[in-house]
Amino acid sequence: MPFAPTMLERPQRWDAAFGAEMTDATVARLLATAPFSQMAAEKFPKRTPLCEILGNDTRVLRFRKGEIMVRQGDYGTSAFLILNGTARVVLKPDLAPALLGRQAPGKKGVFRTLAQLWNGSRPAEYLARQKPGQAAGLGARQDADKVRVFLQDIPRVLDHHRTAEMFAGEFFGEIAALSRMARTSTIFADSDDTELLEIRWQGLRDLMKYDDALRAHINRIYRERALASYLRATPLFQHLDKAQLDRVAEAVEFATYGDYDWSGEYKRLAQSGSVRPEKEPVIVGEGDYPNGIVLLRAGFARVSQKFGGGERTLNYIGAGQIFGLEEIAHNWRTKGSAVSFQFSLRAIGYTHLLIVPTQVMEEIVLPSLPKNELPPPVQPAADHFDSAPSASGSQPPVARPESVGAEMLEFLTENRFFNGTATMVIDLDRCTRCDDCVRACAATHDNNPRFLRHGPSAGRLMIANACMHCADPVCMIGCPTGAIHRESFAGQVVINPETCIGCKACFTNCPYDAIRMVEVRDAKGEFLVDQEMRPIAKATKCDLCVENHGGPACERACPHGALGRINLNHLDALSKWLKL
Amino acid sequence: MNRFRRQFAFGMLALVAATVGALWLHQKFGALPNHAFLTGWALLAGMFGLTIYNARKKLPFLPLGSSETWLQVHIYLGFFTTLLFLIHLNFRVPHGWFEITLAWLFGLVSGSGMVGLFFSRVLPRRLATRGGEVIFEKIAAQRHGLQIAAENLALGTEAKSLFIAEFYAQRLAAFFSGPKHFWLHLAESRRPVSTLLAGLEELRRFASEGERDKLDRLAALIRQKDGLDYHRALQLALRLWLFVHIPLTYGLLVFTGLHIVLVFGFSGGAR
Amino acid sequence: MSGPLPAPEFDAQNYARPNQNWTCGHAGEGKACRLGPDAKGRCRATAECKPALETKPGETKGRWRCTRPGEACESGPLPDGSCGRPIARCSPEPTLRVWRGRATLAVIAVSFGLLLVTLGNPPWRNRFISPGELSKVHSGDAFAMLATTNHLSQGCGACHVAGNSGPNGMVTAALRAEPGMLELVKLATARPAEPTVIDESCLKCHPTRNFHQPNAPAMSCAFCHAEHQGAGLAATTDANCNFCHGSAGKLAAAGGFQGSAAAVIHHFADDHPQFRFITEPWPDRDTLKFNHELHLTRATIPKLPGGTRLDCTFCHQPDAAGAFMKPVVFEKNCRVCHALQFDPETPQLTLPHGSADFVSAFLRSLPKQYLNLATNPAAADAFVSQKLAALRTQFGSGEDLERRIFFSSATLGPETQMGTLKGATRAIFPGCAYCHEVKPTAAGAPQIFRPVLPERWLTRAKFNHAKHAGMACTQCHDAVHSQSTADVLLPGREVCTVCHSPHGGVADACAECHTYHRPK
Repeated sequence: MPFAPTMLERPQRWDAAFGAEMTDATVARLLATAPFSQMAAEKFPKRTPLCEILGNDTRVLRFRKGEIMVRQGDYGTSAFLILNGTARVVLKPDLAPALLGRQAPGKKGVFRTLAQLWNGSRPAEYLARQKPGQAAGLGARQDADKVRVFLQDIPRVLDHHRTAEMFAGEFFGEIAALSRMARTSTIFADSDDTELLEIRWQGLRDLMKYDDALRAHINRIYRERALASYLRATPLFQHLDKAQLDRVAEAVEFATYGDYDWSGEYKRLAQSGSVRPEKEPVIVGEGDYPNGIVLLRAGFARVSQKFGGGERTLNYIGAGQIFGLEEIAHNWRTKGSAVSFQFSLRAIGYTHLLIVPTQVMEEIVLPSLPKNELPPPVQPAADHFDSAPSASGSQPPVARPESVGAEMLEFLTENRFFNGTATMVIDLDRCTRCDDCVRACAATHDNNPRFLRHGPSAGRLMIANACMHCADPVCMIGCPTGAIHRESFAGQVVINPETCIGCKACFTNCPYDAIRMVEVRDAKGEFLVDQEMRPIAKATKCDLCVENHGGPACERACPHGALGRINLNHLDALSKWLKL
Repeated sequence: MNRFRRQFAFGMLALVAATVGALWLHQKFGALPNHAFLTGWALLAGMFGLTIYNARKKLPFLPLGSSETWLQVHIYLGFFTTLLFLIHLNFRVPHGWFEITLAWLFGLVSGSGMVGLFFSRVLPRRLATRGGEVIFEKIAAQRHGLQIAAENLALGTEAKSLFIAEFYAQRLAAFFSGPKHFWLHLAESRRPVSTLLAGLEELRRFASEGERDKLDRLAALIRQKDGLDYHRALQLALRLWLFVHIPLTYGLLVFTGLHIVLVFGFSGGAR
Repeated sequence: MSGPLPAPEFDAQNYARPNQNWTCGHAGEGKACRLGPDAKGRCRATAECKPALETKPGETKGRWRCTRPGEACESGPLPDGSCGRPIARCSPEPTLRVWRGRATLAVIAVSFGLLLVTLGNPPWRNRFISPGELSKVHSGDAFAMLATTNHLSQGCGACHVAGNSGPNGMVTAALRAEPGMLELVKLATARPAEPTVIDESCLKCHPTRNFHQPNAPAMSCAFCHAEHQGAGLAATTDANCNFCHGSAGKLAAAGGFQGSAAAVIHHFADDHPQFRFITEPWPDRDTLKFNHELHLTRATIPKLPGGTRLDCTFCHQPDAAGAFMKPVVFEKNCRVCHALQFDPETPQLTLPHGSADFVSAFLRSLPKQYLNLATNPAAADAFVSQKLAALRTQFGSGEDLERRIFFSSATLGPETQMGTLKGATRAIFPGCAYCHEVKPTAAGAPQIFRPVLPERWLTRAKFNHAKHAGMACTQCHDAVHSQSTADVLLPGREVCTVCHSPHGGVADACAECHTYHRPK
């Protein structure tokens, strides 16, 4: 018996294939445009010739006036070159979150909080009727098979926000692409014929590698825009004055290792069982001459030592940590007995780092440090069987805290759990499997739990399938509407259900099964369907209770202290939590 | 000091101090005529403090403090309230149907709470050591899957080994048909699974190469099913003690309400 | 098998929803339907898809298309637009939490039900809520009759205001209780033993409280007599007495105590004051001269008829109740030895006892007395004259005899032989004054003071000789050393505490000897 189901308009999925429209003609056109026209094609190796790079790692995007090209806070792995037309960078203040597809920030008010008492009778995944993707001042249009979100009232935007114009030939987004950090500004097209060349990070890296001019250019803007402030904030350089800092900034080299697309690759590798330290790209080898300290800017690296026929992981380090300081300081102080690097450093996933050369360290930095900040001398490790890190002479932050066993360390590293800033760790020795945590999560999210109390486990620790709010949020790459965003700088990763179109980009990207697609329902519990009777899906995940008072409800609801949202970027928090 | 030891030390300190205080007060003011009324109100306050933990659990969206702290308070207050109960009774056994029922209700609630505390601290470690982590609600489906797999293995169309089929029909069909050995698993006994596996072992000598392989897979299924049963037993125990603790609490509160009416309505007021 | 088991396969694509109250009935087989039961536990499953009608442009009738998520089914929808693959309805199952909630409601319902049933039914009600057995004296038919006579309700209502009311009445009474339910300060500061509402019920049958002293403060009956403690009313304890007598403050407040009555007493063996007859002391002011030591120990005391020695029990015999001793009476206890003969030749002639006038009259009628004794009527006169002559020889004139009889108290010398017969076992009788106090009067017989034998020495305590029958009299009464009548031969406290003390083992509660309520 036919009947009328609930129907809505459904936007198309965003087709995200790179370079699908790059024809030879387009490539030829590019080669004729600056800066590619000035690049010496013979400098590029035969394996990766310039035209192939352009053909496979770039694509041309066309925008009409008002369409948003890059959102502030998005994570992306591409740099952009304006080929035609003009673009505007929104400087101060940035656009309202609603215009960017974000959820309105702030916590629930008193009435909404108390209204959660009646959540228990809501059907699962009930979605109040709404028009997706339409915030005031924002429009959406379908352009062939793509969704473009555009600002409806540009004059108003220009009135209320300070903007800067960018013209053909200008680069933007290269720092974000290289250092894997969030986009710093929103950029929208200012003319109807704006053409953008989007260059993938692999392409950018290769272009930089083989073209001196581009490399110099990128280096220069990197140093200008990002490096100085970062160095100033680093504790190691606290005692330097401006002149010294400039000299250090001049001498610093930056590098990227590993694979930006590591998540997809990682999933495949993990299933085939070939995630092994020996296969990861080496940044620094054990026994190498210490030619500089490594400052990790973004990403993670594994610290390991040779053991038997393989490598034994001692620790992993994350953004902001330093490698190699002990050896270089030791060599500087005891001229006679120089040591080499005691450990090797390997990139896990991808790593973006700065190298401060030894000479700069010895001349400028080390003399400026007070005696008590210098690391103690290195004792070359004689006994590899001694598992206690302190006995082998290693110092924090390289040393593995004692409460984290080697097996657990391997488990965390192999599964890339160190990425999480709020990983849900469950102590199986204390957990009574009562599900209070899941029910608390449901109570604070309209009767829908947003995580699974299950996941990989090692010994007494289980890492549940809950969003870890990664330092490197691969899920945030490629969202067409800006629905997935970070609440604050390096803060919680949140999906705005109103703007989510269910394209599954984030769901596919997440390596930890933290995002789940749900089919939304109406008030009676029937599935909402589109015109073709297909259920409407939204991506959902833990949002660390950004809207709720009191912090993550799961942690607060566990009666036995068995659940913690732990920052695994460094092992300190975990080791402290484990010493229960 | 680790966090749980700190909680325990602090809680015990508070409990000991409160116990000493309560007993000293009982010594000093035990002869007061309305001693039972005063201790009764204190007891009711304690019971109320214990019962509102249930309310906190139903309001996880309000920032009322962590459930962990509430549970610590609940446990130590529970012990103290039991002492208050004994003081209220003047350490004597009550007579009369109503008062005996009331005392039994309190004793059961208190006792089930202690049993629950014991379970909550002892059983999770056993579950973690055993492995095979599974969510309670999914156990039935898992068991069903194992049953289908085992049946296919032993009785399926390509199965041609009669003796394996017989073994299955006689010994394993019942085992796979539902959750088993609840009490034995609570008592940490491995006897049932070892018996089944031993039975399977006996068949090995009569089995061909392919059949041995089948027996191995069947043994693996038996171990999985046993692990599932173990999880079900312990997780069910971790849930069922609350079936005594919570319903009886509300029964106790009903009886307590009447008790208050009775003692005030019938009291001479002199004692 | 070593190491932990691997976790079973897990569906990470869908949330587990322990917050829902109902699960699909097919979940046990791993085939839970997508839709799930509704909030009330009804299965909503219909079919695997909802077919969509597709009309291409130009067509009038469209075609039904399968819209199953995932991939479409092979057979496709039926021509009328319904799905060809219906899902079998299930019986949704409630979760354990739902069962727990039902159990809680059930327990509450049963509790209320039980209470309403028992409270609504008067005979059951009283037995159900009674906190302990009633004493025999306050239950049964006798009490019921008393209640009627004294205009009390029957049953619990005899004492309790709310005793015969249902739940409503109980609540009303509770709300009207004094001190009130929430008056914690009043509850805490209430003074013990204050009379309460229930005391008024006690007074209906026990009209006056009869407190033991007029200055005793009004106390609640229930303070000492606790009901509902079993078949007997709870025995009063020393604590009840110590409430006042153990507190110097209360004794002072009551006022009017003097001497040892004002002493602060906690336990008989510890600080009970010595008996007043010893401390004050009270001599026995009896005018009868009696020497216990003589009577009990001297060899000169004649034996009783029957050959036994004189002992305590010959004179001091318990009364009918056995608690106290009968008063010593001359005719029964003394005349056996003190026969009052005055004529050694005529032992059967004895003086009357009890009135000096009678003795005087007897002496004046001696001839007649002798005449009665004559056996031979013919020689009667001669007999009488002979006797009288003998008397005169011994005593002198009739006045002398009379004087001698009344006033002689000699203990030595021939005068003591007055009444002693040769060879007879009799006590000496020098004269009345030997035992009594005799005062001459102007005319007529002298005044002989009647001995004063107090009935009770210790009026504030009760004593029962029968309970002490296993003891020898001399264990408590030091008669063998007493030569003087003035000695009060009762034992002091230290004698009693030999047994009536914690180490002596015999009950030493206040109530053993003392009663609170003054006898009417």
